[in-house]
Amino acid sequence: MALPTLALPGTLLGPASKYAPGPGTHIHDSAIYASIAGTVASHPSPNPTTTKLPLLSISRPGDVSSSSSSSSSSSSSSSSSSSSSSSSSSSSANILPEVDAQVLARITRLGARFASAEILVIAPANTTSISADASVCSTPFTAQIRREDIRATEKDKVTVQDSFRVGDLIRAVVISLGDQGGYYLSTAKNELGVVVARGEGGEVLVPVSWKEVRDMRTGRGEARKVAKPF
Amino acid sequence: MAANTDRRRINAPSGGTSAPVFAKPVKAPGYLQSLRPNRTRGPNELRKTCKQTNSIRTVLQTGVVPSASGSAYLEVPTTTASSQSSLIPPTSSLKIAASIQGPKPLPRSAPFSPTLVLTTTVKFAPFATRYRRGYIRDSAERDLGVHLEAALRGVIIGERWPKSGLEVVITILEGDEDAWWGDDKAEGGAGSGWGLLNVLAGCITVASAAIMDASIDCVDMVAGGVAAITADGQKVLEPCPAEHQDLVAACAVGYLASRDEITELWLKGEVGADPDELIEGATHAAMGSVSVLREVLLESMGTKTKVANEVSKRKLEDVEMTG
Repeated sequence: MALPTLALPGTLLGPASKYAPGPGTHIHDSAIYASIAGTVASHPSPNPTTTKLPLLSISRPGDVSSSSSSSSSSSSSSSSSSSSSSSSSSSSANILPEVDAQVLARITRLGARFASAEILVIAPANTTSISADASVCSTPFTAQIRREDIRATEKDKVTVQDSFRVGDLIRAVVISLGDQGGYYLSTAKNELGVVVARGEGGEVLVPVSWKEVRDMRTGRGEARKVAKPF
Repeated sequence: MAANTDRRRINAPSGGTSAPVFAKPVKAPGYLQSLRPNRTRGPNELRKTCKQTNSIRTVLQTGVVPSASGSAYLEVPTTTASSQSSLIPPTSSLKIAASIQGPKPLPRSAPFSPTLVLTTTVKFAPFATRYRRGYIRDSAERDLGVHLEAALRGVIIGERWPKSGLEVVITILEGDEDAWWGDDKAEGGAGSGWGLLNVLAGCITVASAAIMDASIDCVDMVAGGVAAITADGQKVLEPCPAEHQDLVAACAVGYLASRDEITELWLKGEVGADPDELIEGATHAAMGSVSVLREVLLESMGTKTKVANEVSKRKLEDVEMTG
C-alpha cells in the first residue's frame, strides 16, 4: 500500500506489522494512524537490532528539513547544517523535556540543598549531545538540581555554592519529570556542568580545571562544576 | 444642598430620567408575522451548502492569531435573505474565534499531572446576541465550556504532554439565537435554548481546527453537528432556530468521522421513542463540518510548507553570500 504524502489526524497510514510508529502517529486497532496534520515520511529503522520495520513519522508543516527529506528517505543525518537549524527554530513550538534528554539551562536560584534553573534548549533523548536538531523552548521550564546530583563522586562534599552561580549556563541531563514543582536535572558526568560562566563584572570566565573557572584579566579564580569541553 | 453632592463624579440629573420606550415595529396586524423567516432549504440540506442569492459560504480559517500556538475562525452564514421592509436581520449567523495557548508548563500551584491538562473557556462577546451579555461568564457559558472540554478530551492524546497545560479560548462574536426575535418567548431568553446547541457544534468544529493548527496530537478530527425534530416529527439538519417555531428536540454531537465515534452528546427536549435517529442526523451534519475542516487544513498545510521552503531557500542564499 502506498503511503499518502499529506496526512490529517485519523488518516490510516498502514498496518502496524509493516511499519513502526514514530512521532506524530498512533496505533489503533493494530494499524498506524496519523495524529497530527503534516507530511508523511518513512525512515529506515533507527536501531535495527530491536526492529527492522521502517519508522513512520509525521512532521509538522513548517518543518523544512523533513519536507525536503521526505522524498529521499535516508537523508536524516546528511542534511546540511543551515537547513536543520532552520527546522529546529520552526518545530520548537511544542517540545517537552523528557527523561535522558540533554538540555541547556540557566541557573536562577541557589539553595543549600538544590539549585533552581530554567531549561532553555532541549535535545532529544536519543542524541548524544546538543547539536543542530536541538530546539529552543517557547517557554522556559523550571527545573532543580539537587546537591547529590551535581557530580558523580564525593557527593557528600559537594556544596551548591561552589558548583554554580546565578546566571550560569549549564549543560545537564533530565533525570526525572519530577513532582508538581520542576524537572530534575543532573550534571553528574564529565561532559555536563557549567558551560558559560560570568564574573561579577559580566566578563566571561575561562575554565581551567573541572572545578575551577578563572578571569583571564585579573587572574581571580572561582569554583564551578565545569563541563568538559568537546 | 451643595455640600451633599459628590463633586468628584459626574452626577445624575437631579430631576431623574425615564428610560426610552421604543415603538414596536407593528404597523398593521400581520405585518410582524410577515417578517417571520422560514426554512427554505431541505430538511437534509446543511446550512453552508445552502444556495442563497446573497448568502456567503461557511468561512473557516486557521492561523488567525499570530501570538497563539494555534487559532481558527469560523463563520456560518445566515440562511435567510434579509427582508425588504425591515432593517432587523431575520436570522443570525454564527461567528466564532478560537485560540490555543500552550502546551505550556503548569503553574506552580497546580498538582502533578501525567497528562495534558485541558482548560476550555467559552465567552460570548457582549454584543454577540440580541440580548446583551455580561462581561463575566454566566452559567450557560460555563456549561458550554464543560461540554466543549468533554468533546476535546476524547480526541486529544494527552499522555504525550505530561506536566503541561493547554488552554482553549473561544470567543463567540455572533451567536445563534434561541428563537425568532418577533416571538415573545425570545425576549429575555438568556441563551439556554436551541441556539446553544448550534453554538456548541460550532465551538467544537472551530476548536478542532485550532488544535490541529497547533499540531497537538489527536486520534482523529472532531467536528460538531446538530439535528432537530419539529412538532410534526420531521428531522432537520443544522436547524436555524429562528426559522422553526415548533422544535421539540435537538441534539448536538462531537463526532470523529474516520473512527465513527462520538465524544460529546447533548440531547435537549422531548426526543421520543427513538433518539438514535436524531443522533444519526447530528452525525450526518457533523460530516459536513468534517469535509470543510479537511479542505481547510490541507490548504493551510500547503501554504505553511510553501512559506517554510521559501524561508529556507532565502537562508541558503544568505549563507552563500556571507561565505
